[in-house]
Formats: sequence, structure tokens, C-alpha cells
Amino acid sequence: MIRFSKVSRQFEVGEERVLALREIDMEIHDGEYAAIMGPSGSGKSTMLNILGLLDRADSGQYHLDDQDTTTLSETKRAALRRRQFGFVFQSFHLVPRMTAAQNVELPLNLDGVSPRERRDRVGAALDSMGLADRANHKPSQLSGGQRQRVAIARATIMKPSVLLADEPTGNLDSKSSKEVIQALETLNLAGITLVVITHDPSIGDRANRKIVMQDGKIDQDITLN
Amino acid sequence: MRLSDLFKFSLGALGGARTRTWLMLLAMSIGVSSVLLLTAVGEGTRHYVNNQFMDLGSHLLIVMPGKLETTGGQPPILSATEVDITIDDAIAISRSPSIRRVAPMVLGSAPASWNQRERTVNVIGSTADLYDVRKLTMASGRFLPTGDPTRGAPVAVIGDTLKAELFGNTAALGERIRIDGQKFQIIGVLEDAGGAGVGMDLRDAAVIPVATAQNLFDSPSLFRVMVEADGHSAISRAERAIIDIMRMRHNGEEDVTVITQNAMLATFDNILGSLTLAVGGIAAISLAVAGVLIMNVMLVAVAQRKTEIGLLKAIGSPGRQILQLFLAEASMLALLGALVGLIIGFAGVYGLAKALPDFPIGIPYWAPLAAAGTSLGTSVIFCFLPARRAAKLDPVLALAGH
Ligand SMILES: Nc1ncnc2c1ncn2[C@@H]1O[C@H](COP(=O)(O)OP(=O)(O)OP(=O)(O)O)[C@@H](O)[C@H]1O
Ligand SMILES: [Mg+2]
Repeated sequence: MIRFSKVSRQFEVGEERVLALREIDMEIHDGEYAAIMGPSGSGKSTMLNILGLLDRADSGQYHLDDQDTTTLSETKRAALRRRQFGFVFQSFHLVPRMTAAQNVELPLNLDGVSPRERRDRVGAALDSMGLADRANHKPSQLSGGQRQRVAIARATIMKPSVLLADEPTGNLDSKSSKEVIQALETLNLAGITLVVITHDPSIGDRANRKIVMQDGKIDQDITLN
Repeated sequence: MRLSDLFKFSLGALGGARTRTWLMLLAMSIGVSSVLLLTAVGEGTRHYVNNQFMDLGSHLLIVMPGKLETTGGQPPILSATEVDITIDDAIAISRSPSIRRVAPMVLGSAPASWNQRERTVNVIGSTADLYDVRKLTMASGRFLPTGDPTRGAPVAVIGDTLKAELFGNTAALGERIRIDGQKFQIIGVLEDAGGAGVGMDLRDAAVIPVATAQNLFDSPSLFRVMVEADGHSAISRAERAIIDIMRMRHNGEEDVTVITQNAMLATFDNILGSLTLAVGGIAAISLAVAGVLIMNVMLVAVAQRKTEIGLLKAIGSPGRQILQLFLAEASMLALLGALVGLIIGFAGVYGLAKALPDFPIGIPYWAPLAAAGTSLGTSVIFCFLPARRAAKLDPVLALAGH
């Protein structure tokens, strides 16, 4: 479970101070499917980055499964990212020199998993994303939708409990978008907590919970049943 | 992360930036191969000089007037108060049982002429024994006659260069030349002594009986006495005998210096050994330059691969691991560069050895190790700054490419 208590984040640009998050209080439960929406600059990405321990709050507390993350060392935060979180980005962030399989394998590789186990898990992950026949393709040889599905396979290969996606369909056409969203939702059905930032209302409407941000604050927080 | 995966990742990263990788490999391999080539030439020179000394005669001692001020590896500095060595001293030395032959030597230069042609030449006064002591061979005629060294004769043996310069293709045997106005009959011409001329170049010299030379230069003192010990084991006995005899003859004063061939050899060996180290060190500077290049290129690499580093951070790679990845990349580069450099270096030395068959060129055993070690060391040290910069990047900013 994720709990924000009065989380604030500000940036200094020259003399100016930008309050990207203003004392956010929020909880996200295990297995939830939440869409974060709101205008550009409202603090969506900032919130997601703090959620995924890529960034730190300037004040307030962030409890992850009852552990206070605000005081953790950078190494401990890296370890939590490795085990608990999967990230999916708008621009995919695949390593261009590596094949699809190698990209998916990278987290296992860094974690020292044995080559045999890696091969099995990568094969299964690509398979579940419908990319079994693309394993040896470089990112440049894949379509946008395929690239994003490779990125999702990579984000989930360590079996994280939370999947964070920042505009995962922002660079995709509607058909690919649908495939990618379906892939994410399938993972959510299997139990993973899914948090998606999106500008697309049709995608936002699919989520059980819709968090709308405005000016660094949560403007609306609607949970459907 | 497993070591093999670390290597694969680094190799992949190197392969992903071909131009950069080739450039750095080039710099590294130039550094490594120049270390090999220069030290090989240095070692070759050392061996060459060693061989020259071997040619000089193996049981040789040289007696010089004056006492060495210092002992050890320094070049000989002779005291100002020189006492002469005379022919009688040389004769006395030759009576020692540990000494086989003695060749007293007088050295001077004088104009030599034949048929209007004149040259200034080195004139060496010595005895018949010089022939064996210096292991000479005759091109024609014979060497100086044996007999009482205190009696002179107007005869001369000339080196092959001098013969060619004075006589050209004309036969020189039996001709009379003038040395400093006095007439000398040529009784022999030396064969090209080759490079065996450490000490004195006989190719351009006229050798005359020692007593005659003393008259010519109007001086009773000897330049030095070359002594051949009675076998290798007799060298130190001979050295002691010479010093004892000379002290007895010079009122208990130890006023000569005896240089054994081993001592000379050791001195040269020392000098040339340090020379090899010095040129090797200079070449190693090029490796340091390559290190600076690697640092620059890795800084660029870190900048270019910011999003990749951001991604690594996002998937939970700790800073320590990112540091490792970049250092491994530099090490791979260094090892590959060293390998290429070693191949080029060995090939170059092989080529030189083929081109100069008389020159005993050879890579000293420590040079490849030192070169490879230096290249690895500089790469890792110089890559530390860029690697640490990568490890410390802020993940969000890195992902955004800032
Ligand atoms: N590294 C930074 N330095 C300075 N200001 C920043 C930084 N990151 C974010 N901001 C500012 O913080 C505010 C929130 O940014 P954030 O990226 O969270 O917005 P967003 O809701 O994700 O917008 P978008 O929909 O355009 O992605 C913005 O005003 C932005 O300019
Ligand atoms: Mg954003």
C-alpha cells in the first residue's frame, strides 16, 4: 500500500520557485487501477516519480507498505525500485543497441539471475506480450506499440507489485494505444497495482479510480465500483 | 551482476559506439606498441654494447695512470696528480704468472703523408702483443715484430681505412710513409676491425713500435697498458698482481687504476639499462595521454548515454553498479587496446629484427606487462571521474536527458 501524507515538492528555476506538489494526501491500495489526469504542468509526473522512488519529496511522508521511505538511503531506494516498481515511459527508453530480449533481460541481468532462469522468464514475458517472434529484433526494427510492449515486459520481469506508467500511449496511434492499455490492464487483473498518467479521457475512463490534478493539488479523486 | 554479464554489457556498449571505441583503441595501442618498440631498441642497444665488449677479448684488464677518485658506477674521474707508467712497469707486470700478455700503449695524433697525400691520424705505439690482446687480423703483411719493447724500429702497421685513404687501390706493403716527418715502412695492413673498436678505432690509425712512438711524441709515459689475464679465473689475481707490482715500483704509492672488463661492462650495462627504462617511461607518457583521451571520451559517453543511465537507475541499479559498468567498459577498452598494441609492438620488433639482422633487438620480458598494466591503470583511473559522474546522476533528470 502507498500512503502520501502532506507530500510537497518544489523546484527552483533561477530565482523562481515552482511548487509542483502541494501537501498531497493520498492512498493507493494494492491491486488498484488508477489513472492520473490533469493539465500539463499540474504535477502528474512529479507525483509518479516520487511514488516510484525516482524522486524525493521535500517535505511530508511517503509510506510504502508501512515503511517510511523518506529517510532511506539511495542504495535502499534503488533496491526498492528494483523489487517493487516497474516503470513504463512515454518514450519507451529501450536501449537501442540491445535486442528486444536483451532489453527485457536487463533487470534480471543487473540482479545476477542465472542465465538459464533469465532465458525462461524473458521468453515467457515476451510471449505474454505477443512478441515471441520479435525477440531478436532491435528497437529500431519494431513499431511503437511493439516497443512499448517490450518496455512493459521489461517493467514486469522482476515481478513488481506496482506498475507506474507516465503517458504510455503518448507516442502511439489509437490501435497501438489500445493494445498497450490492454496489456497493462491484463497485468492489473493478475494483481499488480497500476498507476497510469494519461491525457486521453477514453483511457482515463477505463480505470476504476480517476485522480485529477490541478496546480500541484489533487482536484478530484473518484473511485468507481 | 555476474562478471560475464558485466563484460557482455561493456562490450555491447563499446560496440554501440564504434568510432569512439576505435579512436580510443588506436590511442591505447599506439601507446602500448611504442613502449614495446622503444624498450626493445633500448635492450637491443644494451646487448649490442655487451657483444662489443665480448669481442674486445674476454680476459682483458686496462691499467691507467692515476687513481680513480670514486669507485662504483661513475665514469672514471682521474686525480690530477698523475704518475707515469713506463715501459719498464709494463715489462714488470708481464712477469706475473697470472698474466698472459701485456700490450703497452702510447697514443697521439700526427700528420701522415704519402705521395703528397696527407692525413692526420691516430698513432698508436704498442708491441706485438697488441695483436693477440685486441684479437686483430691482418689484411696483408704482418704485425709489429716481437722483441725488446724498449727498442724501436721505423715500421708501421696501418688500419684499412687509412690504407684506402692514403694509397687508394695501390699496394701499401713495403711503401714508406712519413709520420710527423719521420719515415716509416709499412709492414702490414689490418683487416677491417668492424665495430670491435670500443676504446680505440684502429681502422683509421697507424700502429708503430712503442719505443718509436715515445720518441716521436717525446714522452716516456704510457697512455695505458692493456693486460690479458691468464684465463678468466685469473682476472682478479691479475688485478691484484698489477696493483702490487705497481705499488712496489712506485714507492708504495697506489697510483694506477685497473679497470677490468667486467667493471666496464657493468657500467655500460647500468647506463644502458637506465636508458631503456627512460625511453620506456617516455613511451608510457603516451599511455597517460591516452588516459586523458579516455577520460574525455567517457565524459562524452556519459553525457550521450544519460537516458540509458536514467533507465538503469529506474530499474533499480544502484550507483555502485553503474560505476562498475563504466569502469568495466574502460578496462575492456584498455585490455583490447593493450592487446592490439602488443600485436603491433611485437610485429614491429619482428620487422626491425628482420631489417637489422646484426642488431640484437628484443623486447624485455617486463615491457609487455608494464605497458598493459599502465594502460589498464590509466584507463581505470581516468575513467573514475566520468563513471562517478554517471553513478551520481539524478534519475529523473537523466531520464529526461538533462
Ligand atoms: N526538474 C525540474 N526543474 C524545474 N521545474 C520542474 C522540474 N520538473 C518539473 N518541474 C515543474 O513542476 C511542475 C510540474 O511538472 P510535471 O512534470 O509534474 O507536470 P505534468 O503534470 O507531468 O505535466 P505534463 O502533462 O506536461 O507532463 C511544472 O510547472 C514543471 O515546470
Ligand atoms: Mg508529465
